[in-house]
Amino acid sequence: MTKVALLLRKDALILRRSPLLLGLLVAYPLLIALLVGLVAGYANSKPRVALVDEDHLPRIVSVGGHEFNVDKTINRVSKDVKLVRLSRAEAQRELRSGKVVAVLTVPAGFVATLQGMVMSPNLEVQTARGIISSRVDEQVQALVFGLNRQLQTAYINTDLGYVRLIMQGGRGSFLGREFTVLGLGRAERLLRNTPGPQAERLREFIRDARIALAQTGNALRATAHPIELKRVKARGRSWALSADVQAYALGLTISFLALVLAAGSLAAERDENVVGRLARGLVTLGQLVWAKVLLAAVVALALGLGVSLVFGAIIQIGNVTGGEPWGRLPLLAVGLLLAGGALGAVGALLGALAREARTASLVALLVVLPIVFLGLVPQEVVPAAGWISDALPFVHAVRFFSAALFDTSPWSTVAREALWLCGLGALFGVLARIGTRRLLA
Amino acid sequence: MSAGAPLLAARGVAKRFGRNSALDPTDFELQPSEAVALVGPNGAGKSTLLALLAGALEPSAGTVVSREGANIGWSPQRAAQYGRLSPRENLELFARLEGEQQAAEAADRLVREFELPDATAAGDLSVGNRQRLNLAIALLGKPEALLLDEPTAALDPEQRGRLWERLDAQRSAGVALVFVTQQPDEVERHAQRVVALRDGAVTFAGPVAEYDALSLVG
Repeated sequence: MTKVALLLRKDALILRRSPLLLGLLVAYPLLIALLVGLVAGYANSKPRVALVDEDHLPRIVSVGGHEFNVDKTINRVSKDVKLVRLSRAEAQRELRSGKVVAVLTVPAGFVATLQGMVMSPNLEVQTARGIISSRVDEQVQALVFGLNRQLQTAYINTDLGYVRLIMQGGRGSFLGREFTVLGLGRAERLLRNTPGPQAERLREFIRDARIALAQTGNALRATAHPIELKRVKARGRSWALSADVQAYALGLTISFLALVLAAGSLAAERDENVVGRLARGLVTLGQLVWAKVLLAAVVALALGLGVSLVFGAIIQIGNVTGGEPWGRLPLLAVGLLLAGGALGAVGALLGALAREARTASLVALLVVLPIVFLGLVPQEVVPAAGWISDALPFVHAVRFFSAALFDTSPWSTVAREALWLCGLGALFGVLARIGTRRLLA
Repeated sequence: MSAGAPLLAARGVAKRFGRNSALDPTDFELQPSEAVALVGPNGAGKSTLLALLAGALEPSAGTVVSREGANIGWSPQRAAQYGRLSPRENLELFARLEGEQQAAEAADRLVREFELPDATAAGDLSVGNRQRLNLAIALLGKPEALLLDEPTAALDPEQRGRLWERLDAQRSAGVALVFVTQQPDEVERHAQRVVALRDGAVTFAGPVAEYDALSLVG
């Protein structure tokens, strides 16, 4: 057995004898992955929006002959926000304290303007300052869009009533004024017995107008919805089982594990006072670093495959389509080894710099979160985050896992990211080897 | 190196930690079967010289050479062993790293010889047992010389007596000894030569009898 293998076996034995540490190392990143998932899932949650009713909305509002139950209508269209009725003063106070993210005000005269159907009534929206205000704007716009869709039907039906009146004639009202209309049908009948070319031209116009007005309903509906979005039901992975979530969960879990383990175990050699004994020709410092890199790679492989098997089982049991949970495991295993090794080299560097196991573990924990979050920041949003992230193994590990598990043709991505991981592993490994001299002091 | 050459020799060896000099350029020789005591106050450079002779530290200047093929055992003042491994596992691991062919047998033999409890992790052993394990590890590979840094510092008189019995047995078998001590009686009983250091420099090197005389004069 080689000396590196002897050290690796020793570290594995020590790890097995520290079940609490091992449990924490496994559970902690999974917990963080879950929390990150929940925070990410906030995008789908309902922000609290205050509804200030200054028009004293009645329970039932009648628009164009349609009756609307106000509360039911609001509930139906406010799927993405939680509306709470508040007074203006309460709403302003809660907006300032952040208890509501926006205030939607129904001004006095809103219902009267709505029922007049000539002018568009206004709703006033006031959002909190901060990074989520744009998202709140979108959700309030979605709410108003939902209300408009409900009202459009009533408006169209009212407009069609006027069109019917023009076509058939009869009594109608507009802005409270009653009137009687002859109608195109009756006009045509009156002209039927009138001779002459001018009467013939009028009859022709009436026929054309009736044909054209018969299409008014479809034209109005098309005007209201130039593009209609149809939702097609599809089978596929839910958000929790999506490719990105699985790849990030794997990356995050092994990043924590590899960094903390390699940093802690290298610094522990000094805590145990054995570095001097090993350095007396028993083991080179390079072999010592290599043993820690291998330890991180092997543990990352074991844990990563465990997480993937759980994902795969859920997908299999749930009969979820999309991705190949089993066929790509060998490719994933290669990625886990490379990523674990590269992250282990970063951990070994931290361990060499920190020199004490407790400090090294703390430093590794402090370092791993920025590494992971840098990888989560879209490069299009903050280019600098992308550049820094490219110089660290996490993001390359995630890309490798995502391609290995889900791409139809993963080879180019996998090869590129494997090269990145090997290069970064070698770079950090050399730096760790240089830094390990500090352990002898 | 010829047969009459020293077993272990330091030529102008020095050590600096950053700006601080731990040991000025120093010469030292150890002949086969000889026993040398390193003495001096705390911070004099005794442990540094011993670690340099053992190869556990890289010298900032000078060289350390040992006779070709000679195995040198080293026992630092603070136990150097894995706390979560048992004494047998520690011994077997270091034996394998030393390249011992019969590593398991060597570990068994030393566990019995040093009466080490094997059901306990090394980190849970008493100070005396940890020191015995430390010495047992130094004896792996049948060394021609033992470098011991205050081997009896944490031991009670009875444990100290038993440790010196073992070391005397090693000396009888021809093993050379370099030990750091603060105990004048250990110098007198177990050393032939004394090297005294102060502030990183050798202040005396010679037979025990002369060192005593100088001490009296000083």
